[in-house]
Amino acid sequence: MLTLDNVSTGYDATDVLHGVSITARAGELTVILGANGSGKTTLFRTISGLMRVRTGTIDYEGRKLHRARANAIVKSGIAHCPEGRHLFGKMSVEKNLRLGSYPHRNSSRTEEIYAEVLDLFPILKEKAKQPAGSLSGGQQQMVAIGRALMSDPSLLILDEPSMGLAPIVVEQVLESVAQINRNGIGVLLSEQNAKASLAIAHRGYVLAEGRIVLADDASRLLDNPDVQAAYLGL
Amino acid sequence: MTLFIQQLFNGLALGGVYCLAAIGLTLVFGVLRIPNLAHGSLYMLGAYITYFFLTTIGVPYIAAIGMAAIILFVLGVGLERLVFHPLRNSPHTHHMIAAVGAMFFFQALAQAIWGADFRRMDTPITGELRVLGAEISAQRIVIIITAVIVLALLAWFIKRSIHGQTIEAIEQDRIGASLVGINPSMVSMLTLGLSALLATIAAGLVAPINLLSPTMGDALNLKVFAIIILGGLGSLPGAILGGFVLAIAETMTATYVSSAFGDTVAFIVLVAVLAIKPNGLFTKAVQR
Repeated sequence: MLTLDNVSTGYDATDVLHGVSITARAGELTVILGANGSGKTTLFRTISGLMRVRTGTIDYEGRKLHRARANAIVKSGIAHCPEGRHLFGKMSVEKNLRLGSYPHRNSSRTEEIYAEVLDLFPILKEKAKQPAGSLSGGQQQMVAIGRALMSDPSLLILDEPSMGLAPIVVEQVLESVAQINRNGIGVLLSEQNAKASLAIAHRGYVLAEGRIVLADDASRLLDNPDVQAAYLGL
Repeated sequence: MTLFIQQLFNGLALGGVYCLAAIGLTLVFGVLRIPNLAHGSLYMLGAYITYFFLTTIGVPYIAAIGMAAIILFVLGVGLERLVFHPLRNSPHTHHMIAAVGAMFFFQALAQAIWGADFRRMDTPITGELRVLGAEISAQRIVIIITAVIVLALLAWFIKRSIHGQTIEAIEQDRIGASLVGINPSMVSMLTLGLSALLATIAAGLVAPINLLSPTMGDALNLKVFAIIILGGLGSLPGAILGGFVLAIAETMTATYVSSAFGDTVAFIVLVAVLAIKPNGLFTKAVQR
Protein backbone atom coordinates (compact mmCIF):
# COMPACT_ATOMS: atom_id res chain seq x y z
CA MET A 1 0.00 0.00 0.00
CA LEU A 2 1.19 3.48 -0.93
CA THR A 3 0.24 6.29 1.42
CA LEU A 4 0.88 9.97 0.88
CA ASP A 5 0.22 12.04 3.96
CA ASN A 6 -0.15 15.80 3.59
CA VAL A 7 2.45 16.06 0.81
CA SER A 8 3.40 19.47 -0.56
CA THR A 9 5.91 20.19 -3.27
CA GLY A 10 6.57 22.60 -6.12
CA TYR A 11 9.01 24.41 -8.34
CA ASP A 12 11.10 27.34 -7.11
CA ALA A 13 9.03 29.54 -4.82
CA THR A 14 5.58 28.26 -5.71
CA ASP A 15 3.96 25.09 -4.42
CA VAL A 16 2.11 22.97 -6.95
CA LEU A 17 0.77 20.38 -4.53
CA HIS A 18 -0.82 21.59 -1.30
CA GLY A 19 -1.09 18.91 1.40
CA VAL A 20 -2.12 16.00 -0.80
CA SER A 21 -3.10 12.78 0.99
CA ILE A 22 -3.91 9.69 -1.05
CA THR A 23 -3.80 5.94 -0.63
CA ALA A 24 -3.25 3.37 -3.35
CA ARG A 25 -4.09 -0.07 -1.97
CA ALA A 26 -1.97 -3.06 -2.90
CA GLY A 27 -3.12 -4.72 -6.11
CA GLU A 28 -5.83 -2.13 -6.81
CA LEU A 29 -6.15 0.24 -9.73
CA THR A 30 -6.34 3.80 -8.47
CA VAL A 31 -7.09 6.60 -10.89
CA ILE A 32 -6.27 10.31 -10.46
CA LEU A 33 -8.57 12.64 -12.40
CA GLY A 34 -7.92 16.30 -12.93
CA ALA A 35 -7.69 19.00 -15.55
CA ASN A 36 -4.41 19.93 -17.23
CA GLY A 37 -2.23 21.76 -14.74
CA SER A 38 -4.02 20.38 -11.69
CA GLY A 39 -0.78 18.71 -10.52
CA LYS A 40 -1.18 15.07 -11.61
CA THR A 41 2.26 14.86 -13.23
CA THR A 42 3.88 16.67 -10.30
CA LEU A 43 2.21 14.22 -7.93
CA PHE A 44 3.65 11.24 -9.80
CA ARG A 45 7.10 12.81 -10.16
CA THR A 46 7.10 13.36 -6.41
CA ILE A 47 6.18 9.76 -5.62
CA SER A 48 8.90 8.39 -7.91
CA GLY A 49 11.57 10.71 -6.49
CA LEU A 50 12.12 12.93 -9.52
CA MET A 51 10.95 15.84 -7.36
CA ARG A 52 11.71 16.55 -3.74
CA VAL A 53 8.96 16.40 -1.11
CA ARG A 54 8.83 19.72 0.76
CA THR A 55 6.55 18.69 3.60
CA GLY A 56 4.61 15.54 4.38
CA THR A 57 5.50 11.87 4.16
CA ILE A 58 5.32 9.06 1.61
CA ASP A 59 5.16 5.49 2.84
CA TYR A 60 5.26 2.36 0.71
CA GLU A 61 4.71 -0.99 2.38
CA GLY A 62 6.16 0.34 5.62
CA ARG A 63 9.16 2.09 4.05
CA LYS A 64 9.52 5.86 4.14
CA LEU A 65 10.22 7.10 0.62
CA HIS A 66 9.90 10.87 0.81
CA ARG A 67 13.66 11.38 1.18
CA ALA A 68 14.71 8.64 -1.24
CA ARG A 69 16.10 9.17 -4.74
CA ALA A 70 14.46 7.91 -7.92
CA ASN A 71 16.97 5.09 -8.40
CA ALA A 72 16.30 3.81 -4.88
CA ILE A 73 12.52 4.10 -5.16
CA VAL A 74 12.32 1.91 -8.27
CA LYS A 75 14.22 -0.76 -6.32
CA SER A 76 11.54 -0.73 -3.64
CA GLY A 77 8.92 -1.79 -6.18
CA ILE A 78 7.40 1.40 -7.61
CA ALA A 79 7.87 1.82 -11.37
CA HIS A 80 6.99 5.15 -12.99
CA CYS A 81 6.06 5.27 -16.66
CA PRO A 82 6.27 9.03 -17.17
CA GLU A 83 4.35 11.47 -19.29
CA GLY A 84 6.24 11.84 -22.56
CA ARG A 85 7.59 8.27 -22.13
CA HIS A 86 11.30 9.25 -21.81
CA LEU A 87 12.51 6.27 -23.84
CA PHE A 88 16.11 5.82 -24.99
CA GLY A 89 15.18 6.76 -28.55
CA LYS A 90 18.32 5.62 -30.36
CA MET A 91 18.53 2.27 -28.59
CA SER A 92 16.69 -0.82 -29.78
CA VAL A 93 13.36 -1.76 -28.25
CA GLU A 94 15.01 -4.78 -26.67
CA LYS A 95 17.75 -2.69 -25.03
CA ASN A 96 15.13 -0.27 -23.69
CA LEU A 97 13.21 -3.15 -22.14
CA ARG A 98 16.33 -4.82 -20.76
CA LEU A 99 17.56 -1.59 -19.18
CA GLY A 100 14.21 -1.61 -17.36
CA SER A 101 15.48 -4.58 -15.36
CA TYR A 102 18.55 -2.60 -14.23
CA PRO A 103 17.55 -2.57 -10.52
CA HIS A 104 17.45 -6.37 -10.46
CA ARG A 105 19.89 -7.03 -13.29
CA ASN A 106 21.26 -10.25 -11.82
CA SER A 107 17.86 -11.69 -10.99
CA SER A 108 16.83 -14.97 -12.60
CA ARG A 109 13.31 -13.58 -13.07
CA THR A 110 14.41 -11.13 -15.79
CA GLU A 111 13.90 -13.54 -18.71
CA GLU A 112 10.51 -14.57 -17.33
CA ILE A 113 9.32 -10.95 -17.09
CA TYR A 114 10.74 -10.19 -20.53
CA ALA A 115 8.62 -13.03 -21.94
CA GLU A 116 5.56 -11.71 -20.06
CA VAL A 117 6.04 -8.23 -21.50
CA LEU A 118 6.26 -9.63 -25.03
CA ASP A 119 3.11 -11.66 -24.36
CA LEU A 120 1.33 -8.50 -23.27
CA PHE A 121 2.57 -6.51 -26.30
CA PRO A 122 3.26 -9.08 -29.07
CA ILE A 123 4.03 -6.33 -31.62
CA LEU A 124 7.23 -5.54 -29.69
CA LYS A 125 8.58 -8.97 -30.60
CA GLU A 126 8.69 -7.90 -34.27
CA LYS A 127 10.14 -4.50 -33.42
CA ALA A 128 12.75 -5.75 -30.93
CA LYS A 129 15.76 -4.74 -33.02
CA GLN A 130 14.42 -1.34 -34.17
CA PRO A 131 15.37 1.93 -32.47
CA ALA A 132 12.61 2.80 -29.99
CA GLY A 133 12.39 6.31 -31.45
CA SER A 134 11.35 4.94 -34.86
CA LEU A 135 8.14 3.33 -33.55
CA SER A 136 4.61 4.78 -33.70
CA GLY A 137 3.25 6.63 -30.65
CA GLY A 138 1.19 3.69 -29.47
CA GLN A 139 4.08 1.26 -29.85
CA GLN A 140 6.40 3.63 -28.00
CA GLN A 141 3.86 3.74 -25.17
CA MET A 142 3.97 -0.07 -25.07
CA VAL A 143 7.77 0.04 -24.82
CA ALA A 144 7.50 2.59 -21.99
CA ILE A 145 5.00 0.46 -20.07
CA GLY A 146 7.04 -2.66 -20.81
CA ARG A 147 10.24 -1.00 -19.61
CA ALA A 148 8.52 -0.04 -16.36
CA LEU A 149 7.22 -3.61 -15.92
CA MET A 150 10.74 -4.99 -16.41
CA SER A 151 11.70 -3.66 -12.97
CA ASP A 152 9.25 -6.23 -11.50
CA PRO A 153 7.14 -3.62 -9.70
CA SER A 154 4.34 -4.16 -7.21
CA LEU A 155 2.99 -0.70 -8.11
CA LEU A 156 3.02 0.77 -11.61
CA ILE A 157 2.52 4.53 -12.02
CA LEU A 158 1.16 5.47 -15.44
CA ASP A 159 1.01 9.14 -16.34
CA GLU A 160 -1.51 9.69 -19.16
CA PRO A 161 -0.52 6.61 -21.15
CA SER A 162 -3.07 7.36 -23.87
CA MET A 163 -2.04 10.97 -24.45
CA GLY A 164 -1.77 11.83 -28.14
CA LEU A 165 -2.81 8.39 -29.33
CA ALA A 166 -5.55 7.49 -31.83
CA PRO A 167 -8.86 6.38 -30.23
CA ILE A 168 -8.46 2.75 -31.27
CA VAL A 169 -4.97 2.66 -29.77
CA VAL A 170 -6.21 4.31 -26.58
CA GLU A 171 -8.60 1.39 -26.16
CA GLN A 172 -5.76 -1.12 -26.60
CA VAL A 173 -3.52 0.67 -24.12
CA LEU A 174 -6.23 0.88 -21.45
CA GLU A 175 -7.09 -2.77 -22.01
CA SER A 176 -3.45 -3.71 -21.39
CA VAL A 177 -3.45 -1.55 -18.24
CA ALA A 178 -6.48 -3.50 -16.99
CA GLN A 179 -4.67 -6.74 -17.88
CA ILE A 180 -1.56 -5.70 -15.92
CA ASN A 181 -3.78 -4.97 -12.91
CA ARG A 182 -5.55 -8.35 -13.26
CA ASN A 183 -2.08 -9.95 -13.14
CA GLY A 184 -1.79 -8.60 -9.61
CA ILE A 185 0.22 -5.41 -10.07
CA GLY A 186 -1.17 -2.30 -8.37
CA VAL A 187 -1.68 0.62 -10.78
CA LEU A 188 -1.79 4.32 -10.14
CA LEU A 189 -3.14 5.94 -13.29
CA SER A 190 -3.83 9.44 -14.51
CA GLU A 191 -5.92 9.67 -17.61
CA GLN A 192 -7.72 12.24 -19.74
CA ASN A 193 -10.31 9.65 -20.61
CA ALA A 194 -12.13 9.71 -17.25
CA LYS A 195 -14.99 7.42 -18.20
CA ALA A 196 -12.83 4.63 -19.61
CA SER A 197 -10.34 4.83 -16.76
CA LEU A 198 -13.00 4.83 -14.00
CA ALA A 199 -14.51 1.79 -15.69
CA ILE A 200 -11.36 -0.27 -15.02
CA ALA A 201 -10.43 1.37 -11.67
CA HIS A 202 -11.23 0.42 -8.08
CA ARG A 203 -10.83 3.87 -6.54
CA GLY A 204 -10.45 7.39 -7.79
CA TYR A 205 -9.30 10.80 -6.66
CA VAL A 206 -10.08 14.17 -8.18
CA LEU A 207 -7.22 16.66 -8.09
CA ALA A 208 -7.88 20.37 -8.63
CA GLU A 209 -5.28 23.11 -8.31
CA GLY A 210 -2.97 20.88 -6.34
CA ARG A 211 -5.57 19.71 -3.81
CA ILE A 212 -7.59 16.50 -3.53
CA VAL A 213 -11.21 17.62 -3.79
CA LEU A 214 -12.93 14.26 -4.08
CA ALA A 215 -12.10 10.67 -3.15
CA ASP A 216 -14.37 7.69 -3.61
CA ASP A 217 -14.87 4.27 -5.13
CA ALA A 218 -14.57 4.39 -8.91
CA SER A 219 -18.15 3.24 -9.51
CA ARG A 220 -19.54 6.00 -7.27
CA LEU A 221 -17.35 8.64 -8.92
CA LEU A 222 -18.84 7.57 -12.25
CA ASP A 223 -22.30 8.37 -10.87
CA ASN A 224 -21.24 11.56 -9.11
CA PRO A 225 -22.96 14.56 -10.78
CA ASP A 226 -19.96 16.89 -10.15
CA VAL A 227 -17.56 14.42 -11.77
CA GLN A 228 -19.96 13.86 -14.63
CA ALA A 229 -20.19 17.58 -15.26
CA ALA A 230 -16.48 18.28 -15.00
CA TYR A 231 -14.80 15.22 -16.52
CA LEU A 232 -17.32 13.04 -18.28
CA GLY A 233 -18.91 15.66 -20.46
CA LEU A 234 -22.42 14.56 -19.49
CA MET B 1 54.24 8.26 -53.18
CA THR B 2 56.64 7.16 -50.44
CA LEU B 3 56.27 10.53 -48.78
CA PHE B 4 52.49 10.24 -49.00
CA ILE B 5 52.47 6.81 -47.34
CA GLN B 6 54.88 8.06 -44.72
CA GLN B 7 52.59 11.00 -43.94
CA LEU B 8 49.46 8.87 -44.07
CA PHE B 9 50.87 6.72 -41.26
CA ASN B 10 51.89 9.81 -39.34
CA GLY B 11 48.34 11.09 -39.77
CA LEU B 12 46.81 7.79 -38.64
CA ALA B 13 49.01 7.72 -35.55
CA LEU B 14 48.12 11.30 -34.69
CA GLY B 15 44.47 10.48 -35.44
CA GLY B 16 44.57 7.60 -32.94
CA VAL B 17 45.82 9.98 -30.28
CA TYR B 18 43.19 12.59 -31.13
CA CYS B 19 40.41 9.99 -31.06
CA LEU B 20 41.30 8.69 -27.63
CA ALA B 21 41.45 12.21 -26.25
CA ALA B 22 38.30 13.41 -28.04
CA ILE B 23 36.09 10.44 -27.12
CA GLY B 24 36.48 11.15 -23.43
CA LEU B 25 35.54 14.78 -23.95
CA THR B 26 32.48 13.90 -26.01
CA LEU B 27 31.35 11.30 -23.43
CA VAL B 28 31.63 13.85 -20.65
CA PHE B 29 29.66 16.33 -22.72
CA GLY B 30 26.97 13.72 -23.37
CA VAL B 31 26.56 12.74 -19.72
CA LEU B 32 27.34 15.89 -17.72
CA ARG B 33 26.25 18.33 -20.46
CA ILE B 34 29.34 20.46 -19.87
CA PRO B 35 32.39 21.17 -21.99
CA ASN B 36 35.19 20.01 -19.69
CA LEU B 37 37.80 22.69 -20.28
CA ALA B 38 40.16 20.86 -17.90
CA HIS B 39 40.37 17.90 -20.29
CA GLY B 40 43.70 18.98 -21.80
CA SER B 41 45.24 19.31 -18.37
CA LEU B 42 44.17 15.75 -17.49
CA TYR B 43 45.96 14.68 -20.68
CA MET B 44 49.03 16.63 -19.59
CA LEU B 45 49.02 15.05 -16.11
CA GLY B 46 48.61 11.64 -17.74
CA ALA B 47 51.75 12.27 -19.78
CA TYR B 48 53.77 13.36 -16.74
CA ILE B 49 52.63 10.45 -14.61
CA THR B 50 53.49 8.02 -17.40
CA TYR B 51 56.88 9.76 -17.59
CA PHE B 52 57.26 9.37 -13.82
CA PHE B 53 56.60 5.63 -13.90
CA LEU B 54 58.75 5.05 -16.98
CA THR B 55 61.74 7.26 -16.28
CA THR B 56 61.83 7.77 -12.52
CA ILE B 57 60.58 4.37 -11.33
CA GLY B 58 61.67 2.34 -14.35
CA VAL B 59 58.44 0.46 -15.08
CA PRO B 60 58.10 -0.99 -18.62
CA TYR B 61 56.47 1.37 -21.12
CA ILE B 62 52.99 -0.18 -21.55
CA ALA B 63 52.73 -0.90 -17.81
CA ALA B 64 53.67 2.73 -17.08
CA ILE B 65 50.81 3.94 -19.29
CA GLY B 66 48.45 1.48 -17.61
CA MET B 67 49.39 2.60 -14.10
CA ALA B 68 49.12 6.27 -15.04
CA ALA B 69 45.71 5.58 -16.61
CA ILE B 70 44.45 4.02 -13.39
CA ILE B 71 45.70 6.99 -11.35
CA LEU B 72 44.04 9.43 -13.74
CA PHE B 73 40.79 7.43 -13.61
CA VAL B 74 40.73 7.99 -9.85
CA LEU B 75 41.62 11.66 -10.35
CA GLY B 76 38.78 12.04 -12.87
CA VAL B 77 36.32 10.49 -10.41
CA GLY B 78 37.61 12.89 -7.74
CA LEU B 79 37.26 15.86 -10.08
CA GLU B 80 33.61 14.98 -10.69
CA ARG B 81 32.89 14.47 -7.01
CA LEU B 82 34.71 17.53 -5.67
CA VAL B 83 34.19 20.08 -8.45
CA PHE B 84 31.37 19.23 -10.86
CA HIS B 85 28.99 17.35 -8.55
CA PRO B 86 28.50 20.24 -6.08
CA LEU B 87 27.74 22.48 -9.08
CA ARG B 88 25.26 20.11 -10.75
CA ASN B 89 22.31 22.43 -10.26
CA SER B 90 24.18 25.65 -11.03
CA PRO B 91 24.17 27.60 -14.30
CA HIS B 92 26.57 26.34 -16.97
CA THR B 93 28.97 29.24 -16.63
CA HIS B 94 29.84 28.01 -13.12
CA HIS B 95 30.97 24.66 -14.51
CA MET B 96 33.13 26.35 -17.10
CA ILE B 97 34.77 28.65 -14.57
CA ALA B 98 35.35 25.70 -12.24
CA ALA B 99 36.86 23.68 -15.11
CA VAL B 100 39.23 26.50 -16.00
CA GLY B 101 40.16 26.72 -12.31
CA ALA B 102 40.90 22.97 -12.27
CA MET B 103 42.99 23.40 -15.43
CA PHE B 104 45.17 26.10 -13.84
CA PHE B 105 45.46 24.03 -10.68
CA PHE B 106 46.69 20.97 -12.57
CA GLN B 107 49.16 23.06 -14.60
CA ALA B 108 50.56 24.67 -11.45
CA LEU B 109 50.79 21.26 -9.81
CA ALA B 110 52.77 19.82 -12.74
CA GLN B 111 55.03 22.85 -12.77
CA ALA B 112 55.66 22.57 -9.02
CA ILE B 113 56.59 18.90 -9.28
CA TRP B 114 58.38 18.67 -12.63
CA GLY B 115 59.33 22.29 -13.39
CA ALA B 116 58.36 24.51 -16.31
CA ASP B 117 61.06 23.25 -18.67
CA PHE B 118 60.33 20.86 -21.50
CA ARG B 119 61.09 17.25 -20.74
CA ARG B 120 61.83 14.48 -23.17
CA MET B 121 60.40 11.01 -22.68
CA ASP B 122 62.83 8.76 -24.50
CA THR B 123 61.29 6.45 -27.04
CA PRO B 124 61.27 3.06 -25.42
CA ILE B 125 60.26 1.45 -28.69
CA THR B 126 62.89 1.94 -31.32
CA GLY B 127 63.38 0.83 -34.88
CA GLU B 128 61.40 1.29 -38.03
CA LEU B 129 59.19 -0.80 -40.21
CA ARG B 130 59.18 -0.74 -43.98
CA VAL B 131 55.63 -0.43 -45.32
CA LEU B 132 55.17 -0.06 -49.10
CA GLY B 133 58.58 1.51 -49.40
CA ALA B 134 58.07 4.01 -46.59
CA GLU B 135 59.96 3.92 -43.30
CA ILE B 136 57.44 4.02 -40.45
CA SER B 137 58.73 4.33 -36.89
CA ALA B 138 57.72 1.44 -34.65
CA GLN B 139 56.35 3.93 -32.10
CA ARG B 140 53.75 5.12 -34.60
CA ILE B 141 52.75 1.55 -35.40
CA VAL B 142 52.34 0.94 -31.66
CA ILE B 143 50.15 4.05 -31.38
CA ILE B 144 47.88 2.94 -34.23
CA ILE B 145 47.51 -0.64 -32.95
CA THR B 146 46.93 0.44 -29.35
CA ALA B 147 44.38 3.06 -30.38
CA VAL B 148 42.42 0.51 -32.41
CA ILE B 149 42.44 -2.00 -29.55
CA VAL B 150 41.37 0.59 -26.97
CA LEU B 151 38.61 1.92 -29.23
CA ALA B 152 37.32 -1.63 -29.81
CA LEU B 153 37.30 -2.34 -26.07
CA LEU B 154 35.52 0.95 -25.42
CA ALA B 155 32.88 0.22 -28.07
CA TRP B 156 32.30 -3.18 -26.48
CA PHE B 157 32.06 -1.61 -23.02
CA ILE B 158 29.52 1.02 -24.04
CA LYS B 159 27.36 -1.13 -26.29
CA ARG B 160 27.45 -4.48 -24.49
CA SER B 161 28.25 -4.11 -20.80
CA ILE B 162 25.51 -2.98 -18.43
CA HIS B 163 27.68 -0.22 -16.90
CA GLY B 164 28.58 1.12 -20.32
CA GLN B 165 24.93 1.10 -21.35
CA THR B 166 24.10 3.32 -18.38
CA ILE B 167 26.34 5.99 -19.99
CA GLU B 168 24.35 5.82 -23.22
CA ALA B 169 21.06 5.76 -21.32
CA ILE B 170 21.92 8.95 -19.41
CA GLU B 171 23.04 10.63 -22.65
CA GLN B 172 19.78 9.80 -24.40
CA ASP B 173 17.33 10.50 -21.59
CA ARG B 174 18.34 11.50 -18.10
CA ILE B 175 14.83 11.20 -16.61
CA GLY B 176 14.22 7.84 -18.28
CA ALA B 177 17.57 6.64 -16.92
CA SER B 178 16.73 7.72 -13.36
CA LEU B 179 13.37 5.96 -13.58
CA VAL B 180 14.92 2.62 -14.57
CA GLY B 181 17.07 2.89 -11.45
CA ILE B 182 20.32 4.25 -12.87
CA ASN B 183 22.14 6.57 -10.47
CA PRO B 184 23.20 9.65 -12.51
CA SER B 185 25.90 10.59 -9.98
CA MET B 186 27.60 7.23 -10.33
CA VAL B 187 27.49 7.45 -14.12
CA SER B 188 28.93 10.98 -14.04
CA MET B 189 31.86 9.77 -11.93
CA LEU B 190 32.42 6.75 -14.17
CA THR B 191 32.36 8.93 -17.28
CA LEU B 192 34.83 11.51 -16.02
CA GLY B 193 37.12 8.76 -14.78
CA LEU B 194 36.92 7.04 -18.15
CA SER B 195 37.63 10.28 -20.03
CA ALA B 196 40.77 10.91 -17.94
CA LEU B 197 41.85 7.29 -18.46
CA LEU B 198 41.50 7.58 -22.24
CA ALA B 199 43.30 10.93 -22.31
CA THR B 200 46.17 9.34 -20.38
CA ILE B 201 46.49 6.49 -22.86
CA ALA B 202 46.59 9.09 -25.66
CA ALA B 203 49.19 11.16 -23.81
CA GLY B 204 51.36 8.18 -22.90
CA LEU B 205 51.34 6.99 -26.51
CA VAL B 206 52.30 10.31 -28.05
CA ALA B 207 54.68 11.51 -25.31
CA PRO B 208 57.77 9.82 -26.81
CA ILE B 209 57.18 11.75 -30.06
CA ASN B 210 56.39 15.14 -28.49
CA LEU B 211 57.95 16.98 -25.58
CA LEU B 212 56.33 17.27 -22.14
CA SER B 213 55.48 20.62 -20.62
CA PRO B 214 52.84 21.81 -18.13
CA THR B 215 51.03 23.61 -20.95
CA MET B 216 51.13 20.72 -23.45
CA GLY B 217 47.41 20.18 -22.90
CA ASP B 218 46.37 23.60 -24.21
CA ALA B 219 46.91 22.91 -27.90
CA LEU B 220 45.32 19.48 -27.55
CA ASN B 221 42.34 20.99 -25.73
CA LEU B 222 41.60 23.28 -28.68
CA LYS B 223 42.00 20.44 -31.16
CA VAL B 224 39.77 17.97 -29.36
CA PHE B 225 37.09 20.63 -29.06
CA ALA B 226 37.41 21.19 -32.82
CA ILE B 227 37.06 17.42 -33.32
CA ILE B 228 33.95 16.92 -31.22
CA ILE B 229 32.27 19.92 -32.81
CA LEU B 230 33.24 18.55 -36.21
CA GLY B 231 31.82 15.15 -35.29
CA GLY B 232 28.76 16.44 -33.46
CA LEU B 233 28.81 16.98 -29.69
CA GLY B 234 28.22 13.75 -27.81
CA SER B 235 28.63 11.50 -30.86
CA LEU B 236 31.13 8.65 -30.49
CA PRO B 237 31.49 7.72 -34.19
CA GLY B 238 31.69 11.46 -34.89
CA ALA B 239 34.62 11.83 -32.49
CA ILE B 240 36.45 8.88 -34.08
CA LEU B 241 35.87 10.02 -37.65
CA GLY B 242 36.56 13.65 -36.73
CA GLY B 243 39.82 12.68 -35.00
CA PHE B 244 41.20 10.90 -38.04
CA VAL B 245 39.93 13.49 -40.54
CA LEU B 246 41.51 16.34 -38.61
CA ALA B 247 44.81 14.52 -38.01
CA ILE B 248 45.22 13.52 -41.64
CA ALA B 249 44.24 16.99 -42.86
CA GLU B 250 46.76 18.49 -40.45
CA THR B 251 49.58 16.13 -41.46
CA MET B 252 48.97 16.50 -45.18
CA THR B 253 48.76 20.29 -44.99
CA ALA B 254 52.01 20.41 -43.04
CA THR B 255 53.65 18.22 -45.68
CA TYR B 256 52.30 19.60 -48.91
CA VAL B 257 51.48 23.23 -48.08
CA SER B 258 53.65 24.48 -45.25
CA SER B 259 54.73 22.98 -41.95
CA ALA B 260 53.70 26.16 -40.15
CA PHE B 261 50.22 25.84 -41.60
CA GLY B 262 49.47 22.37 -40.20
CA ASP B 263 48.18 23.45 -36.81
CA THR B 264 45.96 26.15 -38.23
CA VAL B 265 43.99 23.60 -40.29
CA ALA B 266 42.14 22.52 -37.15
CA PHE B 267 40.85 26.03 -36.60
CA ILE B 268 39.98 26.71 -40.20
CA VAL B 269 37.97 23.50 -40.16
CA LEU B 270 36.39 24.48 -36.83
CA VAL B 271 35.34 27.95 -37.98
CA ALA B 272 34.02 26.56 -41.26
CA VAL B 273 31.94 23.87 -39.50
CA LEU B 274 30.54 26.32 -36.97
CA ALA B 275 29.60 28.71 -39.77
CA ILE B 276 28.08 26.17 -42.17
CA LYS B 277 26.87 23.17 -40.16
CA PRO B 278 27.05 23.95 -36.43
CA ASN B 279 25.53 20.60 -35.38
CA GLY B 280 28.56 18.80 -36.75
CA LEU B 281 29.27 17.18 -40.09
CA PHE B 282 28.48 13.61 -39.14
CA THR B 283 25.43 13.96 -36.92
CA LYS B 284 23.03 12.78 -39.65
CA ALA B 285 25.34 10.32 -41.34
CA VAL B 286 26.40 8.38 -38.28
CA GLN B 287 23.53 8.10 -35.85
CA ARG B 288 24.20 5.81 -32.95
